[in-house]
Amino acid sequence: MTSPPPASPKTVLQLDRVSRRRASRAAVQDLSLSLQSGQVMGLLGVNGAGKSTTLSMIAGALRPDSGGIELNGEDFLEHPELARTQIGWLPERAPVWAELSVDEHLDAHGRLRGLNGAALRQARTAIIERLELQPLARRLAGVLSQGQRQRLGLACALLHRPALLVLDEPANALDPVQVAALRALIREQAASGTAVILSTHLLAEVTAVCDRVAILHEGILRHDGAVLADDHAALEKTFFGIAMNGNTESARAA
Amino acid sequence: MSRAFVNTVAVARLEWRRLLVRPLAWVLAALTLAWLAWNFTLLLGGFLAGQIQRAALPDGPGFTDLVGVPLLGQLAQLAFLVVPLLCMSVIAGERRNGTLPLLFAAGVPASRIVLGKYLAVLGWLLLWLLLTLAMPLALTHATHVDWGKLAAATLGLALMLAALAAIGVACSSFASHPALAAAAALVIALALWSVNLGAQMAGINGGAINWLAMSTHLQPLLRGLVSTADIVWFALLIVLALALATRRLAADKERN
Repeated sequence: MTSPPPASPKTVLQLDRVSRRRASRAAVQDLSLSLQSGQVMGLLGVNGAGKSTTLSMIAGALRPDSGGIELNGEDFLEHPELARTQIGWLPERAPVWAELSVDEHLDAHGRLRGLNGAALRQARTAIIERLELQPLARRLAGVLSQGQRQRLGLACALLHRPALLVLDEPANALDPVQVAALRALIREQAASGTAVILSTHLLAEVTAVCDRVAILHEGILRHDGAVLADDHAALEKTFFGIAMNGNTESARAA
Repeated sequence: MSRAFVNTVAVARLEWRRLLVRPLAWVLAALTLAWLAWNFTLLLGGFLAGQIQRAALPDGPGFTDLVGVPLLGQLAQLAFLVVPLLCMSVIAGERRNGTLPLLFAAGVPASRIVLGKYLAVLGWLLLWLLLTLAMPLALTHATHVDWGKLAAATLGLALMLAALAAIGVACSSFASHPALAAAAALVIALALWSVNLGAQMAGINGGAINWLAMSTHLQPLLRGLVSTADIVWFALLIVLALALATRRLAADKERN
């Protein structure tokens, strides 16, 4: 699964004043941030803060109303086909084609991402082994539990070895053992040079795996900074300051 | 191979696989083929019973006129119900299940998603047509078949199925629920078939209203008359429906 880490980090993702309205309100406003290879960024925010909208735009599933997105230096909005090989996306609630088995899902995702023949078989076998999906391989996706769906969605996102991994609440419905395995997987991906951006409600998730944290509130980026290992209290203070008072100043004051 | 082709094939394979494992497609195929097989035996019985009387006529109707083409005519009637049911979930179902963004996020343009899904449905419908055609063809060793007339009727049916599938996919791209898509496709197809009914009753055989009706373009083909104008009419309808579906699907990425 892993490939050698790049010699020096390069900017994989660059968002420049990205805005998007949904349901007649501004879901994301003037969002600018960048992400380098091998970096893990946590996206925090209360419900409705704009996390999923942001990740959908980064994944190419949704088009921004304004602003620009660059992927490895190329204009992603001009070339949405870049998503095919460079982005792996696990959407919120991991939607699946209920009629297909786990194996067939991976094949379908692989073909959509340009994999075929021996390369597809090899990638499928590797990801099934890595995520321990062997017992589920022939099971229909429609009968999987939510946790199993999450793992299948993760496998689909990783199958083509993307440069950017976009995970929307990846720890949803996972048991503690699976959460630990997910964290190890994210670290492994980052070590191999993959840039990872993940949204979560769990502050512990951020301190455990992220190098950076961005906090969104009402669609606006309120905080973007490094995460100090095990400094859960500081992150909690910042997050609740923003969530309760809506600005960084009040967070600092708290 | 171009990326566009690879994208289209990947979507078509995915949709084909989903059709193959969905009970609805099999149930529809089984019920309609059973119905057509029953009607085939009735048509064949009628044909055999009238053989002696027709022998006296120098240019009397043959096996193709009395069995082959009427059987395809029955398939055309069933298609008004079967095609909307088969197409209803192709896009509306994906939208409802939240799987449509997975295709967008794989960098597949809306046009390729629509085309891939359309080709999968069309493949299924052509298989249905071939299985129906196998019934009269099974008797070719025992009777005289007017191959030209049968080929023209088959072409007409294939074009009709292709047009109904395009309408079905377009309705599925506009609807939020598969049942709404099926109902809309049925209404549009029936309206397109009978839009010239009033003109026909008034004895008007030309004009725009007759040109607009699907029956005007299918019936000559079922009689063995192949005209470019009729083929172009079906092609225009297919292109228009698929273009509308593409436009609506592309808007999903902008609007949702």
